Amino acid sequence: MTRFIVMRLLTIVPIMFGVSFFVFILAHLAPGDVTTTLTGPYATEETREQIRESLGLNEPLPVQYGKWLSHILQGEFGKSIANRRMVAELIFPKFANSAILALTSAAMAYVIGLFAGIFAASRPYGYFDRFTIAGTLMFGSIPPYWFGLLLVLLFSLTWRWLPATGMTKIVGGGGPIDVILHLILPTIAAGAAPAAIIARTVRATMLEILSQNYIKVARAKGIRRGVILRKHALRNALPPIATICGLQLGYLLGGVLFVEVIFAWPGIGYQLWQAIQARDIPTIQGASLIIAVAFVLVNLAVDVFNAYTDPKIRISEGVRSR
Amino acid sequence: MFRSLRTVALAGAVTVAGASLALGALDTKSAKAEQGGTLIWSIPAAMSLFDPPQSCGWLTKNATHMIFDGLVELELGKPEKGWATLRPALAESWTVSEDGMTYTFNLRKGVKFHDGTPFNAEVAKWNYDRFSNPDAPQYNEVANAYLNFYARWIASTRVVDEHTFEIVLTQPHYEWLQIGQSSCGQPEMISPTAWEIHGDQDIALHPVGTGPFKFVEREIDVMVVLERNDDYYGEPAKLDYMVYRQITDPATRIAALRAGEINMVTEPTWDEIENLVDEGFQLLLQPNVPSVWYAAFNMQHPALQDVRVRKAINMAIDREGVAREVLRGTGKAEHGMLSAGTFAYDPDYNPYPYDPEGAKALLEEAGYGDGLELTFEIFDYGWNEAWEKWMQRDLKKVGIDLKLNKLEWMTYLGKWLQGMPETVAMNSMGWGWSVPYWTAHATRCDHHPPNGINGGWYCNEAVDALYQQAIQTKDQAEATKLYREANRIIMEEDVAFVPVFSYHNPIILAPNVKGFVNGQENWYDYTLPWVEE
Repeated sequence: MTRFIVMRLLTIVPIMFGVSFFVFILAHLAPGDVTTTLTGPYATEETREQIRESLGLNEPLPVQYGKWLSHILQGEFGKSIANRRMVAELIFPKFANSAILALTSAAMAYVIGLFAGIFAASRPYGYFDRFTIAGTLMFGSIPPYWFGLLLVLLFSLTWRWLPATGMTKIVGGGGPIDVILHLILPTIAAGAAPAAIIARTVRATMLEILSQNYIKVARAKGIRRGVILRKHALRNALPPIATICGLQLGYLLGGVLFVEVIFAWPGIGYQLWQAIQARDIPTIQGASLIIAVAFVLVNLAVDVFNAYTDPKIRISEGVRSR
Repeated sequence: MFRSLRTVALAGAVTVAGASLALGALDTKSAKAEQGGTLIWSIPAAMSLFDPPQSCGWLTKNATHMIFDGLVELELGKPEKGWATLRPALAESWTVSEDGMTYTFNLRKGVKFHDGTPFNAEVAKWNYDRFSNPDAPQYNEVANAYLNFYARWIASTRVVDEHTFEIVLTQPHYEWLQIGQSSCGQPEMISPTAWEIHGDQDIALHPVGTGPFKFVEREIDVMVVLERNDDYYGEPAKLDYMVYRQITDPATRIAALRAGEINMVTEPTWDEIENLVDEGFQLLLQPNVPSVWYAAFNMQHPALQDVRVRKAINMAIDREGVAREVLRGTGKAEHGMLSAGTFAYDPDYNPYPYDPEGAKALLEEAGYGDGLELTFEIFDYGWNEAWEKWMQRDLKKVGIDLKLNKLEWMTYLGKWLQGMPETVAMNSMGWGWSVPYWTAHATRCDHHPPNGINGGWYCNEAVDALYQQAIQTKDQAEATKLYREANRIIMEEDVAFVPVFSYHNPIILAPNVKGFVNGQENWYDYTLPWVEE
């Protein structure tokens, strides 16, 4: 197992290198000149050139990339061009805000997705299964943007049960209860589609496994359905389920931009969008990188989990690595 | 790596809770009669730097002009006047020499910055040198670039005595002082002590001024909190706190207003205004905001070389329809480049009444009877290019196929500042100052890119000469005549622009916001309102 984890960690190095390269190139290829933001409409070309020089923007791209990478490896994300804050000060709290929303949304999606998928598969084409198929189709197709607005309309404006925007009340707010109240609607809006996707994956995987001969044998032996589902079917269905759960968490950690915009949730996706609009290259690079790292690490965790639960994966990985 | 990320995530969560608890103190001062409360305005986009000479944008000006003061400021508490005029701020009075070149400011005594630093003539000169004197140690080239439209007229500055400050111009210019009341580059005073402590780069993170509000905190792209300065030299603000909360999505802003989470919205979606008023929210409009939304012709575009084509385009657009159907009462049709909210504005000027048949005939004469294809570059301002599409529809009726090329703001701005290439026929903008000299700024021959914003390459030396005379006369009636003549030439002889409308800056307020004044600018006097609990 240790060997497996070490091998997996080593594969992350070229992935992260590639991610950092693409993040850097994309940030520089975006149209628009950051000196426009920095110097306004009356600046002479000489002033703009001085600004480019002071920011190191007129050096060849490979040199800029090398310097940026070297700083990143030392934990320095640089300073925001648009607002002069240290990029790390800017993006890590925003990432934490996104992580709070992503983890609660993922938890909701996992619970609903797993239970709905398993129960639907346990009695295929029964009422609950048909209900699950219809529900997952609907929630998987609803744009989170529209769903968020609908939730606000019902729960905030019509019934006045929950706050509509932000992470805390501005006046008289604060504290964990306030954050939890603000978290409910964005969690539902962000978690609905992943819940539907997970439920459909779980249902399909379980149905496939439940049709296997060894399950029929188990049934013929008179083993109770609950035991068959839990010990024989679910255990074998875990790798694809874990993979889809990991992918959904990675997607949520990347900042569910639409949900963050609709609920004015101060997350990393919204911060990245603002940085792109301002051509704030250090912030774009920092925020993109942190999202990419989160995604890669979540997938690493999924791989480790799969290897732990499925010896075939460990063995095949070991064979390949020899 | 995972562990460090998790640690930071937990630290971030604590920070959030901490910030919320700190903000919880905001409601400890309850509102009293005609006093107090917290005004929360949902701003639609990010603010710029909180360092006035390096700051650009009307949103940012809404905060900076409350933290910082200049020598003078606009009187924005008299919305019934046709245009805003100057009033004393850090200078309690000022005089202009007979030759119109020397401005002498008598500064207020006993004024202190929020950090306790005294304000005097030395400080005033230090601040002016920061953006106008390349030999000064505090000189900042970005500040100079932003304030170029103002600093380019300054020949020298001088401390006469502790409370007298003098500025000499390079030539007479009677609108110069009010030109400084713009939002992109602001000649307002920062504390030199704070600058010494935090340095030239980081001073924007530690704004210290003399204004009626003090800076409390800024969470980038989330919100800014200001609190009343009880030691303000003038009439203190009534509000306890002013909060600028960034909410980008228009529907979310309206939802937050209805949910009672904010109490002020600007640029409300037009189709929601009537509903909000019916629900009891207040609507404030200001017909004299100095800005005009226009399309500039590219005078180098091959098809636009013929003045008949430019005239036909002006005749083909139903501007009243834009005001009525698109702006739904929040704007007015405009036919000239002298904007409302300035002393030279002529509300009755209308050289091109809507005349699609006349436009067709002119195009026929010019050899474009079979049609013409033009490109119009526009920017994303959250209005869904409604008025530009109206133009497109109107021009289609006279045989012009107008291709709208919509660009994201930063990309657009970069291209706009470079001037139009031959392939682009028109581009759009909405802008203005509280003085008519803005029209000169947008049309002078020496303001072609990269030396200015005249990106349509318009040039008429006779018009420039009229501007020159206008800024050198003390007589406002005479200056008005000169500006109107310049505008007539631009619109009727040279036909260099398609002015379309002026915007009346609709503001929606919660019913408990009292005393708010929608003044003749895009920024407001927050010392006037209060919020009833």
